[in-house]
Amino acid sequence: MPRHLKHTMIAVMAIGLVIAVLWRAGMTQGWLGSLDKTAPRPIQLRIWDWWSPSSNEEYGDYFAALEETFEQRNPDVNLVYQTVPFANYVQKLSTAMVGQTPPDLFQSSVFWAEGFYQRGMLHPLNDLISNDPVNSDGSRLEEAAFLPSAWQHNHTQEGVVFGMPMIIDASCLVWNLDILERAAQQDDEIRAMFVRHPEGSVDYDHIRFEAIKDWAHFRRITKKLTTYTPDGEVDQAGFTIQAYGGAGVLPPWLAGNGTRFQDLGGSRAMFDSPAGIETMTFLARLYWEDRVSPSFRRELTPAERFQEGKTACIPAGTWSGKDIIRNTMGWDHFGKTAFPPGPHGSGQKTVTWGNMLVISNRSPNVEAAWRYIKFVCSLEGNLLRSKYLGYNGPRLDFYETERWQQALAERPYLSNVKQICLVGDKLRHTEIIAADHQANPIVETILLRYPDIMNGRGPYPSIEAAMHEAARNVNKVYERYNRQVTQWQGQDE
Amino acid sequence: MGNPFRQKIVPYLYIAPAMGITFVFSIVSMGISFYASFHDYDAFAGASAFVGLDNYRRALLEPDSYFWLSMRNTVFYVAMSVVGVLVTALPLALVCQRIRKGQALFRTLYFLPSITPGVVLALVFFHIFGIWGGLLDSAATALPALAILGVWSGAGYNMVIFLAGLADIPPHLYDAAKVDGANRWHQFRHITIPMLRNTLVFVTVMTIIGAFQVFTSVYIMTNGGPERSTEVITFTIFINAFSVAGQMGFASAAAWLLFAVIFVFVFIQMHIFKSRNVYDG
Repeated sequence: MPRHLKHTMIAVMAIGLVIAVLWRAGMTQGWLGSLDKTAPRPIQLRIWDWWSPSSNEEYGDYFAALEETFEQRNPDVNLVYQTVPFANYVQKLSTAMVGQTPPDLFQSSVFWAEGFYQRGMLHPLNDLISNDPVNSDGSRLEEAAFLPSAWQHNHTQEGVVFGMPMIIDASCLVWNLDILERAAQQDDEIRAMFVRHPEGSVDYDHIRFEAIKDWAHFRRITKKLTTYTPDGEVDQAGFTIQAYGGAGVLPPWLAGNGTRFQDLGGSRAMFDSPAGIETMTFLARLYWEDRVSPSFRRELTPAERFQEGKTACIPAGTWSGKDIIRNTMGWDHFGKTAFPPGPHGSGQKTVTWGNMLVISNRSPNVEAAWRYIKFVCSLEGNLLRSKYLGYNGPRLDFYETERWQQALAERPYLSNVKQICLVGDKLRHTEIIAADHQANPIVETILLRYPDIMNGRGPYPSIEAAMHEAARNVNKVYERYNRQVTQWQGQDE
Repeated sequence: MGNPFRQKIVPYLYIAPAMGITFVFSIVSMGISFYASFHDYDAFAGASAFVGLDNYRRALLEPDSYFWLSMRNTVFYVAMSVVGVLVTALPLALVCQRIRKGQALFRTLYFLPSITPGVVLALVFFHIFGIWGGLLDSAATALPALAILGVWSGAGYNMVIFLAGLADIPPHLYDAAKVDGANRWHQFRHITIPMLRNTLVFVTVMTIIGAFQVFTSVYIMTNGGPERSTEVITFTIFINAFSVAGQMGFASAAAWLLFAVIFVFVFIQMHIFKSRNVYDG
C-alpha cells in the first residue's frame, strides 16, 4: 500500500474516532440543540438511576415511553436521565451533594434511602402528598394506595415520608415444577403441594402458596427431592444453600421464625436471639446433616444450579422469573412460595424491599419532580413497568387490573407473587455493608465449619457464641452509625 | 549557548503539568487523608471532632478493626507475590532473551496481562479457580490463589524490566568467563545475578509496593472471604472509607499505618541491597 494512502487512512480513522467520541459524549449537544427549532423547555429535570435505557431493548423502550408520555403532558419539562452504576451510587450522590450538583430526583434502593434521609439529602414528601396526591389517571399517591409491605421502607418511625415506592420485590422460594411433578407421581405429600383444578385434578402449573407447612415439612420434602450419585455426591439437590453470601441468607428465614436481622430503629442486631440461633442451626443442618444441598461453590450460584435443572428449590426474589426464563431460553415451569414458619414463627413470611423515587433536598424543581413522581408511581406508571419490564407493582390497584390478570394467565409462576409480597417484613436497612462486613464472615464460618464447631474443634465454641460475637460487632456498627446520625442532625440545626 | 536562566527554567516548565497533577491528586489528597486520620471524618459531612490518635488506637488495638488480621494476610500475599514474581519473571526473561526469532511476539504475549484490566482478569480467574477445584472456596487456598493471579498478571511486566537489565550486561563479561571455563550456571551466578542487582532491587521493591496495595482481585473474587482469609488491608480501608458512614478518619488512619509499614519494608530493603555498580573496579 502506498505510504501516503496509509497515512490518509489512519488520519481519516482518527478523525472519525474523535467525532464519534465527541458525539457520544454529548459535547456536541449544545450545537445540536441550537439546530432544534422547537420551543425550549424551561425546566431541565435531572434524574439519576442505575436502570439504564442502554441495558437492553426492554429498558430502552420503557424509558422512551416514559419520557415521551411525560414530556407530552408537561411541555415545560425536559427530562434528562443520567445513569449511575449501582455500585457507585452512594459515593457519587454524596459527592454531588457536597459539590452542590445533585440530581433533582433519583431512584433509591431501600439499602440507602434511610441513610440518605438521615444525611439530610432528601426532601420530605408529606406536604406534597397531602396537597396534591392525585395523578392525571385518577390514581392517588398515599399510603392506602400501596401494599403495606411496599410502604414500610419509605418513611421514618416518626412518619416523615422520604420516598415513593416504585417497585416491590420480595425474597421467595422458587421451585422447579418439573422436578416436583415427577416426584408427585409417586408421592402424595409432594402432590399435595400443587393447586387443584375445580374438578379435583392436580394443576401442575401452580404451586400452592402454603405448599410447605413448616420447617420440618420443608426438610422432609427437600430430602425426598434429593438424589445422590453412586459415590455419594448430591446429584439432584432438594435445596441449594450458598455459604458465601454470608448473612444475606438469613433475613427471610429469620422472618419465618418470628424474628429479624435488626430492630426497626436500627439500634441493635436481633439475629442472635434464640429464634435467630435456631434459624442458623436449621440452615447448617440442612446442608451438613440432611445433605439436601450440593457442595458450597463460590463460582456457582444457586440460580445457576436452578437454571441447569439440578436443584428443586432455591432462595431467590419475586423479580427473578424473567431472568430464569431468559437464561434458560424460555423455560418457565417453576413456581414461587414464601418461606415456611419455623418453631418460633407463625404463617408464611418473607422480607420485602421496594425501591423508591426520592427528591433531592437541593432540587430547585421540587414541583416538577413531584409531577414526575406522581406519573411514575401512579397506576399508569406501574402498568408501563409491567408492560415493558415485567415488574409487578407496589400499588394495590395494580393487582386489580386486566393487565395483571393477563400476566397471571400467561405466566403461571406469578400466581403467588402478590401474597408473597403481602407477608413481607422490612428488609434490614441500617448500614448494610458495614453490618455485613462484621456478620458475613461469621455466618460463612458457621456454614462452612459447622461440624468442627459442633465437635469443639471450630473457631467458635458453639453456634450461639459465634452468633453473639457477630451481633456484638454489628451492634458496634449501629452504635457508631447512630452517633454519626446525631452529628449530621446537629450540623443541620 | 542559550540564555542560562531560560535553560534553567524550561525543564521545570516541561514537568509542570505532571507536577501539578501529582500535587493536586497525590500530595493534597495525602494531606487531607492525614488530617482526616486525626478526626471523626465523614465523606459526606466532612470533619467534625478532633480525636487525636484515637483512630490509630482503634486500628491497632480494637479486635473488630481487623487491622492486624488484614495486615497478616497482606504480608503473606506480599511474600508469595515477591517469590512468585522472581521465580517466574527472571527465567522468562532469560528464555526470552535467547529466542532468536519472534522475541517481540513472546514479549508482547507475556506483557498482555499487564495491560488487561484487573477486573477482567479477576472475573476470568474467578471461573478458572472454580474449575480447578474451588481454590477460592477454602480459607487455606484462597489467598495463594489470589497470589497466583497477581504473579501471573505481573510476570510479563517484570520480565520486560529484566530483559532491559539483561540487555545492559556487557557481552564481554560472558566472553571472558567462557574463556576462563565458566559454565552456564557459573555465568548466571557470578555475572547475571550481580549485574542484575539494581534491576532485582527495583523489581522487588515495586512488587512489594504493588502487592501491599492488592485490592481488585480481592474485591471481585472473594470479598475478603472465606472466613476473612483474604481480607487484605486495602479492602479493610476501602470498606471503612466508602461503605461505612463516618469512618473515613479511621480508614485514613489505617491507610497511614499501611504507608508506614511499606515505608519500613522498602527502607530496610534499600539499605540491605544498597545500589552499587558491580565489576567497575
